[in-house]
Amino acid sequence: MRISFSEWTRSGSPWVWLNAGAVAISVIMVIGLLGLIAVRGLGHFWPADVLQATYSHAGQESVLVGELVESEMVPAAQLRDSGIEVPEGVDHMQRDLFKVGNRDVTGADFVWAIDDHVTARSYPETLFVAEREEWGNLYGYLRSIKQNGELVGQYDGYDAGPEAAALWDELQRRIERARDLHAQIESIQKGEIGAINYEIERLRLKERSLELKNVSDPAPYADIEARRAELNTEYEALQGELLELNQAMNRDSFTAEVANGSTVEVQLSKVVRAFQPNAMGLFDKIGHYMAKIWEFVADDPREANTEGGIFPAIYGTVLMVILMSVMVTPFGVVAAVYLREYAKQGFLTRVIRIAVNNLAGVPSIVYGVFGLGFFVYFLGGHIDDLFFPEAKPSPTFGTGGLMWASLTLALLTVPVVIVATEEGLSRIPRAVREGSLALGATKAETLWKVVLPMASPAIMTGVILAIARAAGEVAPLMLVGVVKLAPSLPLDMNYPYLHLDQKFMHLGFHIYDVGFQSPNVEAARPLVYATALLLVVVIALLNFSAIAIRNHLREKYKALEM
Amino acid sequence: MTTDIKTHAIDISAMQRDQRELRLEDEEITLQVKDLRLSYGEKEALHGIDMLIPKNRVTAFIGPSGCGKSTLLRCFNRMNDLVDSCHITGEILLDGDNIYGRAVDVAELRRRVGMVFQKPNPFPKSIYENVAYGLRIQGVKKKRLIDETVEWALRSAALWDEVKDRLHESALGMSGGQQQRLVIARTIAVKPEVLLLDEPASALDPISTLKIEELIHELKKDFTIAIVTHNMQQAARVSDYTAFMYMGDLIEFGVTDTLFTNPVKKQTEDYITGRYG
Repeated sequence: MRISFSEWTRSGSPWVWLNAGAVAISVIMVIGLLGLIAVRGLGHFWPADVLQATYSHAGQESVLVGELVESEMVPAAQLRDSGIEVPEGVDHMQRDLFKVGNRDVTGADFVWAIDDHVTARSYPETLFVAEREEWGNLYGYLRSIKQNGELVGQYDGYDAGPEAAALWDELQRRIERARDLHAQIESIQKGEIGAINYEIERLRLKERSLELKNVSDPAPYADIEARRAELNTEYEALQGELLELNQAMNRDSFTAEVANGSTVEVQLSKVVRAFQPNAMGLFDKIGHYMAKIWEFVADDPREANTEGGIFPAIYGTVLMVILMSVMVTPFGVVAAVYLREYAKQGFLTRVIRIAVNNLAGVPSIVYGVFGLGFFVYFLGGHIDDLFFPEAKPSPTFGTGGLMWASLTLALLTVPVVIVATEEGLSRIPRAVREGSLALGATKAETLWKVVLPMASPAIMTGVILAIARAAGEVAPLMLVGVVKLAPSLPLDMNYPYLHLDQKFMHLGFHIYDVGFQSPNVEAARPLVYATALLLVVVIALLNFSAIAIRNHLREKYKALEM
Repeated sequence: MTTDIKTHAIDISAMQRDQRELRLEDEEITLQVKDLRLSYGEKEALHGIDMLIPKNRVTAFIGPSGCGKSTLLRCFNRMNDLVDSCHITGEILLDGDNIYGRAVDVAELRRRVGMVFQKPNPFPKSIYENVAYGLRIQGVKKKRLIDETVEWALRSAALWDEVKDRLHESALGMSGGQQQRLVIARTIAVKPEVLLLDEPASALDPISTLKIEELIHELKKDFTIAIVTHNMQQAARVSDYTAFMYMGDLIEFGVTDTLFTNPVKKQTEDYITGRYG
């Protein structure tokens, strides 16, 4: 059956198609965005095969060892301009980016090569990769293992065989031992020594504060001195222990032959892990992949944030968002209750409401500037004068920190909470309020016992929106407390446990830092995607938990069918 | 179900027989309204009402929509205070004291004069907590006292047997009729002197309505009841005294039987015979 165009228009079908199309495009864009960062970010952790090939460049031949990172087509003209010979009749040539590592030997760990110039490709099984604490990856052939400088094992060939395997197993065992010692050292340094340093610093501040108060009685000074001596003894003991552990850790080293034929010696204490990607089966690779992802999520960063994990940044982001929520919720709710329940509705409340709504539209960097000027310099400065004079001239709260960052973001998001709470309050049926009043409850009692619990799902909606906005905010944080690398977590085992004055790391800032401030752009790029993906995941998780709470409340305070 | 209704019909006739002996002059007076005028902004809604609410009796307010009967009822516990533009002159004496006096604690007044609304409005809490709400507001802490009062109130509202096994489930899971009886239980739990019922059965089905009416009949032993209703049969069934209001005036007030069978004013007669309304 045919219908005319005008009938088709009148039926509304074009509208339906248009609307459905708009929705479809939005969905595709969101999925595309997530897909892109997921593929780019997560692919980074897969152990790629390592290529060995001959690379002819400018009439010279050299050995190329590395993993293929990406390929692109380059116009022949451009190549000719840069002095590369291109056969006649070719428009485009493929150019590959190889990660060749060995930054300590060659200076650069990434190399571009014309695909056609890379010949005699092979994937030898004994070729191995060592991830190191410094200088990035090492690619090469294992030559020998040394203990205290003396040879333990040696192999000079390139082929897989029992001899090579034995040496490889020996290496793995020794790396594991070194990692164990490394973990012990870390734990002593961060745990026990960290606690001692913290207490010594507190003692110093206490002493300084006594001096500032002109206390002349020698008793408290003596107490401090005694405690300090005690701590110093403990410290010495731990230092001794550390020294031993360090010596034990530095016992072993290995040598490897790298692409240019030279031999490199590496301390095993500097090796994070070593693996032979070409010899790995699928399951080995999956295991390796999972371990790498876990390292990314749970470890500290290494090498100017281009290697290792981003745990402190996840921790900082989550902690800051939680603190922000804890601050913004009561403040926003109280303000909304006054505006909706107590203030006389009129011109003034209308103006205030408009102002609050507009506050939500102020660019976030403006809040950052305000936070820096008011919270950090003014409030923080005065807090330091009043409560922490002993620490001066180094600021305690007079510099960016967790508290000021959370407060600044709380200020940024408070309009959202106010608007959502007001909306919720206005939707509580009058009958329920009257029911409570008619039982002899005062207005305040009615608010506390009936109205606010019933409005709690709406309040949670406000908090969810606030979290969604605050978790992704970076600009204001750069002014009020986020840093590239924080030496310790803001929540630890040292009294008072939560260090509101400490600077912290944040995923959003981490992306910016790794992506744009990094000395090693090629190495950092996949991490930018991976961190972005993780930021999305963290925000989603925060939101889901808030939504779960809201749904629970909704079920509990199901609005009456009025 | 039919047998239920028949028994009920017998009950009603028994109630009506009682009424023949009623005389307003013999009654103890709980509430006395003196020249009560109420206006919303410029518009006057009650034009000088004078009347009495006798103790331990059911007084019904009837009249067409917008006649001011609900407004008058809401004056008895100062619910109209919540409306910003509302202005009231005149006096209402509860046991001789003006409830619009200067020193009156409104919350305390509302505890003494409880109110049940047109639509059931249980709080989104458990059945137990709904009934205990008023007690907790008053600062009652003893669990045993609260337990006892809750049981007493639920029994008085003829709800105990239906809910005793699910006291701690949400009140919002109950039927409309149960919810309304819960609201009545909640109201009587604070032991008010007067119970104001604002069309308590208008949102309910006929069976639930019957239950509420039986309940009113039971409750008048302990409470003074004022009920606003749209339904003249209901007024005739449940009340001892009836007030007919029209356009903000009290037209006629008297013993229910007399008012329905032998009205003095022509307007009353027109209304009860269905000529307008």
